Amino acid sequence: MIGGTLVTLLAQGPIPADMGGVTLAHYLVVSAVMFVLGLVGFMVRRNLIIMFLCTELMFQAAGIALIAFSRFHMNHTGQTFVIFVLTVAAAEAAMALALVVLLFRRKETLDGAAWRELKG
Amino acid sequence: MTHLLSHLASVALAASPPAEGAARAAAPVLGRVVEGPWTAVLIPGLPLLAAVLVALCAAGRVRSKLPAWITVGCLAGAFAAAVQTYLAVVHQPGLAQGVRVLEWIHLSWGEKPGQSFAADFGLYLDSLTMLWMLFVTGLATLIALYASEYMAHDLGAGYNRFYFAFALFVFSMSCLVMGDNLILLYLGWEGVGLCSYLLIGYFYKKPSAVAAAKKAFIMNRIGDLGLALGIMLTFVQFGSVRYAEIFEAAAPYLTLAGEGRIGEIPLLIQLIPVLFTVGAFGKSAQLPLYVWLPDAMEGPTPVSALIHAATMVTAGVYLVARFLPLYQCSTWALPIVAWTGAGTALLAATIGMAQFDIKRIMAYSTVSQLGYMFAGLGVLTSAGAAYHVFTHAFFKATLFLGCGAVMHGFAGQLDLRKLSGVAFMKGWGIVGLAMLVGCLNLAGFPFTAGFFSKDMILAEAFASPTYQALGWVLLFTAGLTAYYTFRVFFRVFIGPKFYEPGDELHAHDDHGHGHGGAHGHGDGHGHAPAKAKATADAAHDFHPHAPGWAINVVMVLLTVGSILAAYPYLISWVPGLIDASSARVIEVAHGGEHAHGTFFGYDPHAVMYYVSAIVGAVGIIFAFVLHFVGRTGAATAKADALLPVFGPLARWAQNKWYVDEFYNFLVRVPLLVISHVLHLADKLLVDGLVDLAGFMPQAAGRGLRRQQTGALNGYAFGMVLGVGVIAAIGAVLLW
Amino acid sequence: MIEKIGALWPEIILFAAACIVMVVGLSPTAAVRRLCAPLAGAALIVAGIVAWFTTPAAHGPLPMLPLFGKTLVAGVGVLLALLLAGTPDREYESAIARGATGYDPIRANRAEFWAFFLFSLTGAMLCAGADDLIWLFLALELTSLPTYIMVAVSTGRNRSMEAAVKYFFLGALGAAVFLYGFTLLYGGTGTTRLFAPAGEPSIASILAAQAAGPGINAVAMTGLVLSFLGVCFKIAAVPMHFYTPDVYQGASSAVAGFLAFVPKAAGFFTILILAGAAGWWGSSPVDAGGSLPQPLHQIVLIVAILTMSVGNALAVVQSSAKRMLAYSSIAHSGYMLVGVVAGPGPANAPYTSNGVAAVLFYLLSYGVMNLGAFAVLASLERRRADGSADEADDVNDLKGLCATRPLLGWTLVLSVVGLLGLPPLLGFWAKLPLFTSAISSNEIGLVIVLGLNSAVAAYYYLRLASVALLESPELTNDTVRSSPFPARAVAGLASAVGIVLLAAWPLNQWAMQGGRYQRVEPLKAAEGTPPARVDAGAPAAR
Repeated sequence: MIGGTLVTLLAQGPIPADMGGVTLAHYLVVSAVMFVLGLVGFMVRRNLIIMFLCTELMFQAAGIALIAFSRFHMNHTGQTFVIFVLTVAAAEAAMALALVVLLFRRKETLDGAAWRELKG
Repeated sequence: MTHLLSHLASVALAASPPAEGAARAAAPVLGRVVEGPWTAVLIPGLPLLAAVLVALCAAGRVRSKLPAWITVGCLAGAFAAAVQTYLAVVHQPGLAQGVRVLEWIHLSWGEKPGQSFAADFGLYLDSLTMLWMLFVTGLATLIALYASEYMAHDLGAGYNRFYFAFALFVFSMSCLVMGDNLILLYLGWEGVGLCSYLLIGYFYKKPSAVAAAKKAFIMNRIGDLGLALGIMLTFVQFGSVRYAEIFEAAAPYLTLAGEGRIGEIPLLIQLIPVLFTVGAFGKSAQLPLYVWLPDAMEGPTPVSALIHAATMVTAGVYLVARFLPLYQCSTWALPIVAWTGAGTALLAATIGMAQFDIKRIMAYSTVSQLGYMFAGLGVLTSAGAAYHVFTHAFFKATLFLGCGAVMHGFAGQLDLRKLSGVAFMKGWGIVGLAMLVGCLNLAGFPFTAGFFSKDMILAEAFASPTYQALGWVLLFTAGLTAYYTFRVFFRVFIGPKFYEPGDELHAHDDHGHGHGGAHGHGDGHGHAPAKAKATADAAHDFHPHAPGWAINVVMVLLTVGSILAAYPYLISWVPGLIDASSARVIEVAHGGEHAHGTFFGYDPHAVMYYVSAIVGAVGIIFAFVLHFVGRTGAATAKADALLPVFGPLARWAQNKWYVDEFYNFLVRVPLLVISHVLHLADKLLVDGLVDLAGFMPQAAGRGLRRQQTGALNGYAFGMVLGVGVIAAIGAVLLW
Repeated sequence: MIEKIGALWPEIILFAAACIVMVVGLSPTAAVRRLCAPLAGAALIVAGIVAWFTTPAAHGPLPMLPLFGKTLVAGVGVLLALLLAGTPDREYESAIARGATGYDPIRANRAEFWAFFLFSLTGAMLCAGADDLIWLFLALELTSLPTYIMVAVSTGRNRSMEAAVKYFFLGALGAAVFLYGFTLLYGGTGTTRLFAPAGEPSIASILAAQAAGPGINAVAMTGLVLSFLGVCFKIAAVPMHFYTPDVYQGASSAVAGFLAFVPKAAGFFTILILAGAAGWWGSSPVDAGGSLPQPLHQIVLIVAILTMSVGNALAVVQSSAKRMLAYSSIAHSGYMLVGVVAGPGPANAPYTSNGVAAVLFYLLSYGVMNLGAFAVLASLERRRADGSADEADDVNDLKGLCATRPLLGWTLVLSVVGLLGLPPLLGFWAKLPLFTSAISSNEIGLVIVLGLNSAVAAYYYLRLASVALLESPELTNDTVRSSPFPARAVAGLASAVGIVLLAAWPLNQWAMQGGRYQRVEPLKAAEGTPPARVDAGAPAAR
């Protein structure tokens, strides 16, 4: 039902007839679920590596949505965007791992909550 | 200069006898402005330059008379420019000339007329302007020269400060008089007020001078409020603050007034001149706002002469004269002006009669004479009023500078009971003669300038049927004026020689007199002749020092000016100038026969010369009998014996009718009560609110601070929650 | 695409300079290594001049934004280069100078630090000139990613590590949010082009067409809102503000001064671009000079009010000068959002009712004033018990500064009084158009909140000023000393001069140009062809 609403909302032109039985709405729901999972994971987990993986999850959620939209709009811009998102995610991953190593050397722990000297 | 002389000669030849009703010059064209000579810019420009240069002197800690020479030079230049401009203006009589110096204020909030506000730094030159600027710049030059000697005891910072304010005053006064719009007039109006404040408070270590400065400032604020409201109302009603446009917009109303249909003019238009009048009364020291002017005598005497006698205090007269077209459109404005003027003239004269401080006497006489001028405007002889301004400027400056010379020479002594026969002392002849000429003018002695100008006002008052009573008040005042003027002259300047120095011996520091114990004077030699005292009491070795060349030169020039001021009357110079300006009196068509007032059946214009001459003479004779005949010492006049006859009246007059005390009671007591109540409210209510306002962010900050735990996950939670809540709000708003 | 190179010369220059600096900074010779900062400064000056002369007017609603943004970033960047002098490798270099250790390129950070500084500024410039969502996303990431490293290496202490970890992780969260917003914006419009020449499809023209018709589609609107909220991280606005005080306090004062300007500038450029794409139409495109489309307008309004109130309330209770300035930085973002809410006003609106110009001028003013305050903090340091130096942080470190170090003291006083917005200083002339533009767009409630917040701000700003000006230095205060980098004081002095002079110099005309707004015409949909297909870009596919 939600999917139906979304598709109606997006209907500026003719809806592509066939996406192999799976509609845009399905992709968007998957993407939204992934994004929310990432958000929740980021909030509740304290291990820095897991937290970073959660942000990666959110980035990839956006990637799924981008590809779905790209197919929906029948242009390639969305897919181009995904390539760039992946690149940036890779750059962030490199930085995150470097940072985690640096932090681990200082406190011998991966717990994000260990770093709370600055507050107020 | 030759140009000027030929002009004067041509005016003299073409002059008609000074009779009212003679063929009048062509009516001025109001609302049209032609391009004027650029030299007019120098009139405000040179004093401003002087102020800047003197400020630089002050910055450079100059300790010479350089600031005086700078100021005198620039002011003389300004005077020359004024003469030049005057010639250009009278060349095209009846037509105002404009000079736009620079763009100043331009606002607009729409395309329609009235939706813009423009006030340029522009000059409006007509014969009224130039009449004022001639005597302002001329007198300012002379008085600056006089002050170069008078202020010499204060060389250095004080001297620089004095000349800075002096030059700034002349600049402000030029803005006031020459501005082509009300905003520039207001700038000048406040500028002269500021300079007046600075100069009254010149001796800022003296509490009375500081109090006087504050009093002048506050009293003027009351008047300025009226002027400001008047300017706003003018803009609202006429859509402009430029004179030319105001006059143009007011022309239909003036026509209505000329047809005797004054009742058809909207009330708000009629209110404008009333508001202006409040401003004029503040600046020109009229009832009820006059009390600051006598106190303003705390300033140095040249300041009293220039600002508080000759020029600034006539700004109110100028304002009324400039806007006479509007005044003639109002039912109430002119009667208010006339009766307040006459009342002030009488009240100030009675106070002046009973004072002992000669400078204060002159101050009250200034208030009184200003009253005359307003009465003249009120009875619609703007020419008479302007002429009285002109003559008064000369003879009152003479009188003040004479008093100043005495004060300067006798260590600040101003009490007429402690000085006598000054004119006969060595080196004081010129001052004595100048004082005689000044007193004759003020007393309205026949064929003096003051006599003619006062007559014009008196005659016109009697000539208008509604102002007969006012004429009598003014005539009585003329008698009182003659009396108190010559009271000063007979007691101080002639008679047996005697003096007692004042207490401002610092004035003689420069002259090398030993005066170690000078403060011990007062008891032992109250009535001792001066010579005996001077030789007998070496410890109190005080020599009055006679005025030097600068003072004497200025006194001579001013005396000559006071005498010559009678000449413009003979050639009806001032009426010609006034008729060619906006201050021209319109003819009002009266239904049927125009009722003309008479003086016991005679035409007032014809007989007033004789009447006022007799009244003046009577006043002088009274003064002669009471204060000269049989006087052996300074304080032994017969008048003192006569005082009990008047009962408490004399004491009340001496105490200035307790007006200050009355104001004190009327204004200050309620004010104090209110301010105490407000103070309490401030403490409890406002401070409480402020404390609360200070407390709330702190409390909020402390609360929010707990959210800043420093934990990464906590921050993430806050961010996600915030995004969620705000997105939800957005969703709710969208659907 | 190649024609875009012409608009990118400043960025290209900075990029090239960054590459050069990265090599030069690794030189074993100390004198050569020290060339990093001067090289960066020179590159910024050249880039600023090039930007001034070569930046063309862009398509879209804010044609002059690239020119203003790039020159602004380059100009303030020069001062930031002065401020950052001596930040990287401080202890390592002094150890080398003492001869305690030899130079090892692996352990040195200087090259990366200055290269990242330039990369970050390049990103901010790219943000100002962005006309495509992908470009905008990359530019924002290019601005942010280097700053994480700069924070981490700014001091050798654990606090910097902590600041970096918070900044990086929360920054990644923020980036994910605006990336998702961009995705939805693309989904709702079918293109990533933000602006295009008239008649061609772009997000701006499609949104205009939607607004003219049934209203902006919900997916696109959600995208706009999420993008805005994500970018709020860059400008440190509520609810993405939590990291700000911790990061500013943990980073060195110089880097904190950098963080308070560069990401904020990039963020505001992004917000203005997004808002320009959404259009300030009010209820319909006909109503030019209206507000942002609902509910974006309400959301920006709420965020503005919350941001300034929360920032000020938290700043009041601080005793650390850096945290206080961090919270005040939050509050200033709130002030600037007022200009975004107010919008550019009707066509040819005067400066006083153009909110966009107000934001741009405020950005400039805030950059200058904030730099002064942080420069003073960066120029002072406390000696710690172990003899090493730590930057001044506590408010009490500033006691009697005007007496002991008049130049720094007066710079601080001018900066905070300017930030407070007292006439006749720069801050006043910056805040005034925010007020007037909000009034002219009838946001009276917002104006009242803005006024109240300015009053609250007086409390803590005047406290800083009075500590420096009125209190006498503590006798035990000999632990506070000047830092050995005079360039920082020069940066502070330059900003103090700017605070006084820029108020008199009509820079607002420049901001007025930058804030010029032209309405985007709605895209007329070709019959039966969805706009998306026009943009397919592959002729072979037809």
